[in-house]
Amino acid sequence: MKVLQVLAVLLLLVMAGTVQAAEKELKVGFVYVSPIGDAGYSYAHDVGRQAVEALDGVTTSYVESVPEGPDAERVMLNMARKGFDVIFATSFGYMDPMLKVAKQFPDIAFLHCSGFKMAENMGNYFGRMYQARYLSGMVAGAMTKSNILGYAAAFPIPEVIRGINAFTLGAQAVNPEATVRVVWTKTWYDPATEKEAAKSLLDVGADVIAQHQDSPGPQEAAEEKGVYSIGYNSDMAPFAPKAHLTAPIWKWGPYYVKVVEEVRQGNWKPESAWPGLAEGIVDLAPFGAMVPQDVRDRVTAKKAEIAAGKDTIFTGPIFDQSGAVKVAEGVAMTDAEMLSMSWFVKGVVGTTE
Amino acid sequence: MLPMRVAKRQEPLGYWGSCVVLSVALLLSLLLSAGMLAIRGTPPLEGILTLFRGAFGSPWALEDSILKAIPIYLCALGVAVAFRLKIWNIGAEGQFALGAIGATWVALSFPDWPKFALLPAMAAMACLCGGFWGLIPALLRQKFRANEIIVTLMLNYVAILFLDYLVYGVWKDPASFGFPMTPVFTDGAIVGKIGTSSINWGLAHCILLGLVIWVFFRFTRLGFEVKASGDNVRAARYAGLPYNRLVVLVLVISGALAGWAGFLEASATVHRLQPSIMVGYGYTAIVVAWLARLNPLAIGFAALLLAGLRVGVESLQLDLQVPAAFGGIIEGLVLLTVLAGGLFTHYRLVWRRPG
Amino acid sequence: MTFEILILLLAAAVQSGTPILYATLGEIFTEKSGVLNLGVEGTMILGALAGFVTARLTGSPLLGFFLAGVVGSLATSIHGVVCLIFQGNQVVSGLALTILGLGLANYLGTGYVGLSAPGFDPLPLPGLAAIPLLGPIFFRHDILVYCSYILVPLIWLFFTRTRLGLALRAVGEYPAAATAAGLSVAAHRWLGVLVGGFLMGLGGAYLSLAYTHLWTSNLTAGRGWIAVALVIFAFWRPGRAVFGAYLFGGIMALQLRLQATGTQVPSSILLMLPYLLTVLVLVFSSWRRGSGEAPAALGINEEPVD
Repeated sequence: MKVLQVLAVLLLLVMAGTVQAAEKELKVGFVYVSPIGDAGYSYAHDVGRQAVEALDGVTTSYVESVPEGPDAERVMLNMARKGFDVIFATSFGYMDPMLKVAKQFPDIAFLHCSGFKMAENMGNYFGRMYQARYLSGMVAGAMTKSNILGYAAAFPIPEVIRGINAFTLGAQAVNPEATVRVVWTKTWYDPATEKEAAKSLLDVGADVIAQHQDSPGPQEAAEEKGVYSIGYNSDMAPFAPKAHLTAPIWKWGPYYVKVVEEVRQGNWKPESAWPGLAEGIVDLAPFGAMVPQDVRDRVTAKKAEIAAGKDTIFTGPIFDQSGAVKVAEGVAMTDAEMLSMSWFVKGVVGTTE
Repeated sequence: MLPMRVAKRQEPLGYWGSCVVLSVALLLSLLLSAGMLAIRGTPPLEGILTLFRGAFGSPWALEDSILKAIPIYLCALGVAVAFRLKIWNIGAEGQFALGAIGATWVALSFPDWPKFALLPAMAAMACLCGGFWGLIPALLRQKFRANEIIVTLMLNYVAILFLDYLVYGVWKDPASFGFPMTPVFTDGAIVGKIGTSSINWGLAHCILLGLVIWVFFRFTRLGFEVKASGDNVRAARYAGLPYNRLVVLVLVISGALAGWAGFLEASATVHRLQPSIMVGYGYTAIVVAWLARLNPLAIGFAALLLAGLRVGVESLQLDLQVPAAFGGIIEGLVLLTVLAGGLFTHYRLVWRRPG
Repeated sequence: MTFEILILLLAAAVQSGTPILYATLGEIFTEKSGVLNLGVEGTMILGALAGFVTARLTGSPLLGFFLAGVVGSLATSIHGVVCLIFQGNQVVSGLALTILGLGLANYLGTGYVGLSAPGFDPLPLPGLAAIPLLGPIFFRHDILVYCSYILVPLIWLFFTRTRLGLALRAVGEYPAAATAAGLSVAAHRWLGVLVGGFLMGLGGAYLSLAYTHLWTSNLTAGRGWIAVALVIFAFWRPGRAVFGAYLFGGIMALQLRLQATGTQVPSSILLMLPYLLTVLVLVFSSWRRGSGEAPAALGINEEPVD
């Protein structure tokens, strides 16, 4: 009898313990490569973080401007020691540091953005931004009169190059004459330089400006010149109401919320997630009033096609800048090939260095 | 009329007096920084405490701060050598980059060499490249009287872009998925860690090189000439000291030390070359060198302090959501207050007598 | 077509040179009085933030432009306190001001990134804008560019024709003689520091109110340092500063346009051009004139008198 009583008490205690554990605040940490004040890439992630913060029983924190390499390792170690339960690292160079930290803290869920390495408690994720880029390229290709599209590009890394290629293929799908001129600024957020880059593209005859940097500088240049522009990251229409056709945009929130909920429920498993238009992690901003209905219809139809998985965009035949076949007819590029893309498709004017 | 005026001291302020002035200056800068925290609604005291705890409050925090202090120390040591001659080398950042490039070139070209051959070769190449980057402003100053502040500064931008050019182009690791970084160094090219700690043997390099510089200024004729010329250029020229050659010497030493720091950062901490290796140690080094009054031992403490600031600011972000730029505010304020406090080395305040 | 691009390039040179021009004029003003201020970069960025925030809150870009100048003066007054009162080393104090200014602006400005504010738009001058060649290059900009056209001769007149200007130069050249003549070295140097800071602040505001209508961390991106270099290139003369600033603005605009026309040169190499040019220009001008044109007492503190 006494034994039973003791057992009952013990059971109660254990239950109380688990209840308490369930009620414990889940701590979620984010590591950003640039200041969230960049209004772009890190900012988009931070908007996603705020969606997580809004959940009940979850607190979030972040460290911004963390250089890739040993600094990142230290920051993640710090988070782990401070008892964070989920850690998101949002830049490619955080991959190896995160792997090291993940091995030391098996109970913490680690998620790395834009890489490919995994561990038992580390998954990776990214968004198929190139799908939205392709759609924006279609819009640009339909709207250009000079057949020269200008692309203010950030750094020559695969994500940017893939975006330029998808944009070009999209433009050529509606306008085979379209070419894309690329100017590298080697900046993520320097409005003055990026606006000047856009102007230099306008000077050589471009009449639609697209961009990969995070500042609306290029949008301003297009607005002042009275030509069209394609934004990036978020709807940039307020900065260039007369020029802004549309913009490929990020929506991290739903994905982050999903992962955090999974961890809380205890059914999170590391995976390589690369969601796209279908999952809504990337999207197209609303069309500007100047985009004619037939273009809208065509793009919307394509969007449905891509979301349904009927068009993977990077399916051959695809030619490189010299005109040689890079992807044979009917062959689709693998995710790994797309993630490491470092060459331009035919129709792009510029270098990848 | 201010109620006080300054009067020259008969003798410069002594050791303890200087310590008091320094402490007051540091305290003032901390107070001002705390005020900046309050402006954004962060509890100031908690903020400053978090900063210190994050920097020195635990064994691993201290280890992290020491790790970060290593490259800062070497850069600052180099900057201090040039400052001794009143040569304003603002180019430690670029010399650091060149050192990292030189070391990486050796590491990538001779990956199979054994450690005892490869590491010295990397260090030597780093010094050579860093020293070369210091030689350019020295020669331009000597031949064309070009201002070394501007030349060294502009060369920083050039060096960083050159590093970019290499890692985005010819040195890009085929296995890096197109991201700008070289392959990871072979084991022979990596400066290891001391025992089980996370601190690498770069710390020993710092102590050794610090000693060398101390001996150089204390016991060698050349070191004496640099000091004398720095104190009074005109007198030194009258005394027949080879001022122009000394300028070349200090800038090359300065660049070589910063280059050594670049070698350590690439070899011991990052294990490869990538753009994110450039995080402004070269600029922090200027602050450190000046705070430490160019003294090799004091540079050690100042380097640790500012390295701790960089590490501690991360905790401040994590716990209290303070923007990363806060570190720059403290750095600037500390330097300004200490600089202003320097007045009391040679002057004191006296009350104006009425009438 | 090529000729058209050339005209557009020259117009771009004027615009991207203008913020540097304001800052260079400010530094000339300060150095003429014998004070070396390396805090241009930090002062500019504080001006850029102040201008942007004011314009956003009040809706008046003009007020923002003015307040940017005031904040610039406030920033350089720190340099004044450290160097003119506390006898701190001018080189180090200027560096500290740059570190502080960048930190402060990035710290206080986080909430304003990604927002827009009213600014100055291009305003072709009637009549002048129609002149062939000169019109498109010089007279189709915003009003702040035209202001700089007026500022340059004004500063030149100030230093060559006014009593105050001559006194300021005297203090920078021969402080001992100036003191003997009854001039207050400290007062004139304060004037140099504060007016210089005002102009640097305006240069920063040009970036956030006219060049773009945006604020971000590190908006100045090294332009303040280039201004310091251009002062030497300009031999401390406002007229030559115009040439230097446009040359530099031109090379920045040129490297982007080379890319746009499809050159195969890697972008890292092209981006080096402005900095290499600065070194070359500095070497060339120092070689021809030496530092003989610099104010003789530049960077040297006056010992306080009992």
